[in-house]
Amino acid sequence: MSHQIVVRNLRKRYPKVTAVDGVDLEVEAGEVFGLLGPNGAGKTTTLEMIEGLTPPDEGEIEISGLSWREHAAEIRARIGVQLQATSLYNRITPREALDLFGSYYPRRRGTDELLALVQLEDKADAYHVTLSGGQAQRLALALALVNEPEVVFLDEPTAGLDPQGRRSLWDIVRAMKADGRTVMLTTHYMDEAEALCDRLAILDHGKILRSGTPAELIASLGIPSVVELTFDGPAPGAAEFGARLGAAVEVRGDRWEVPTHDPKTLLPRLLTALETERLDYDQVHIRRPTLEDVFLQLTGRSLRD
Amino acid sequence: MPAPNALKLLWQQFRIEWRLYLRDRGAMFWTFLFPLLMLFGFGMIFRSGGPPELTLVRVAPAVESPRDKAFLKALNEAHLRILTLGAGAAEARWAKGETAAQLESTSNGYRLRLNSYLLAQGQLAAQAASQAFLVAQSRLSGAPEPQRIPVILESPGHARSTNYAAFLVPGLIGLNLLTMGLFAVGMVTVSYREKGKFRRLAVTPLPKWVFLLGQILQRVTVVAAQTALLLAAARLGFDISNQGSYLLLAGLVAFGTATFLALGFALAGFAETVETYGAISNLVFFPMMLLSGAYFRLDGAPRWLQSAVYVLPLSPYLRMLRGVFNDGATLAGQGAGLAVIGVWGLLSFALAVKRFRWV
Repeated sequence: MSHQIVVRNLRKRYPKVTAVDGVDLEVEAGEVFGLLGPNGAGKTTTLEMIEGLTPPDEGEIEISGLSWREHAAEIRARIGVQLQATSLYNRITPREALDLFGSYYPRRRGTDELLALVQLEDKADAYHVTLSGGQAQRLALALALVNEPEVVFLDEPTAGLDPQGRRSLWDIVRAMKADGRTVMLTTHYMDEAEALCDRLAILDHGKILRSGTPAELIASLGIPSVVELTFDGPAPGAAEFGARLGAAVEVRGDRWEVPTHDPKTLLPRLLTALETERLDYDQVHIRRPTLEDVFLQLTGRSLRD
Repeated sequence: MPAPNALKLLWQQFRIEWRLYLRDRGAMFWTFLFPLLMLFGFGMIFRSGGPPELTLVRVAPAVESPRDKAFLKALNEAHLRILTLGAGAAEARWAKGETAAQLESTSNGYRLRLNSYLLAQGQLAAQAASQAFLVAQSRLSGAPEPQRIPVILESPGHARSTNYAAFLVPGLIGLNLLTMGLFAVGMVTVSYREKGKFRRLAVTPLPKWVFLLGQILQRVTVVAAQTALLLAAARLGFDISNQGSYLLLAGLVAFGTATFLALGFALAGFAETVETYGAISNLVFFPMMLLSGAYFRLDGAPRWLQSAVYVLPLSPYLRMLRGVFNDGATLAGQGAGLAVIGVWGLLSFALAVKRFRWV
């Protein structure tokens, strides 16, 4: 078995829209794989077809070498799923929910251990309705881990959480990876994708536009980094300085911008030039291209649109 | 490792459904306390086993003539509560709508004024008053006193259980079943589907039938507990007990449970959201509750309406339930009623199977 998840030519049409339009994916065992895209890109539909919730119109899905057609029960026992909105009984407690869901599986992880992992010991016996958004989300994550799954699917795991809540969820996802689980998640936060994912696929209008590691994706588009420079006093002549440096200098108000594909070489030369010419600079700052820039370039739209 | 045993899972689903149900005070109130309140409330109001006590308001004449006195004496003998009021007080009571029948003196005799909203009581009072008037006239003229026709009270099945509480108990049992099917099953199904609870279960290895059956078994035991509670309350509070076979009663309750469960699942298939379901279920619930004779009889309604409601499942169901419970009847001759309910059950079941969706 080479790949943990293999998806070939996956398609799903709804009466008014083709939600998923020929998706191919390979996810390696033990990696965190992200589907990045704006709302309505087909992320959730893709994920739900792989989870066995939505039957695809076309295409092949294999998880751990098993197909849904022949081994549905076996696959369900091996995967953990957090849906976008996990709804439980209102008056069930986290402890009861973990015990209950754990009982559905042949293999189960201890309830106390899970409560500790997601830091819900204090709320273990509180009704589900009384949990905050972050607590409910952490419980949903714990429920996805109740069967020691090989593969964990997370649909927008941090949607609607405050920055602190997002960080604590990221830690839990990193712990899943450390335990050797394969994680497949969707997000429309590029910082989340960069922070968590080993590899990514950028999805728009039901198609994968590009996939790779975050660094590969950024590099593949040839978007330059930009060195920004501000001065304490008045800025000197930019054109002559640029000529001596051997790089184009663009002036934006009282700030200089020097685009480069090789900031590692440019930066020492720039600093040496500043020193030798005794220019009184204030700050030097390198701005790297982000996944946001990648998305903008691929689709002509911003990710948050 | 072996997959968990389905029976064990079923037992566990059943237990968790019960445990969560017991935490829902609202549901507890409506399922257990509300029917008891209805029974004790209405049962107390119409408690007396004898003829209903009727009040006749008598406007006091300016001067009580011998004829007035003889009439009053006869009225007092006629099982009527006579309330003699001055013209002003009588008019005030009439205007408040509390008076069903009022006896007034005119220049050449008497007149009865009946409240058009309380016609049933008014007419009974008027009949008694007319009889009393004949008695008073004969006494004054020295003629032989007219004989009163004796009145006895009996249920349609010639049984001793004659009061309104006895009429109410089978009605409440039937309504419980209908409520269970429409709300505890139908509405819950729609809400679980809408909130994605079924979806969360669908990604686990729990077989769906186990979840569904666990839920159904819990509802069925709730109905059994409700019915037992109502029967016990009727016995202790009103000395009303089942006059027929308990086996037949249990069989009828089981039959009704199955029919109304299927009806709930069937309706759930037609609604996307809880709001839509609310509208659809009210469309079914209110005509059945009001027209099927759970609380009162439809004798005053147009004939076509009386026949039409017999096509709804609750009316024939209650007739059979009352037959067994109040009159100790069997199901002999109830073929048409059984058929109506059976058709509803089968139709609902077919629709439920066809339209049921998890997502």
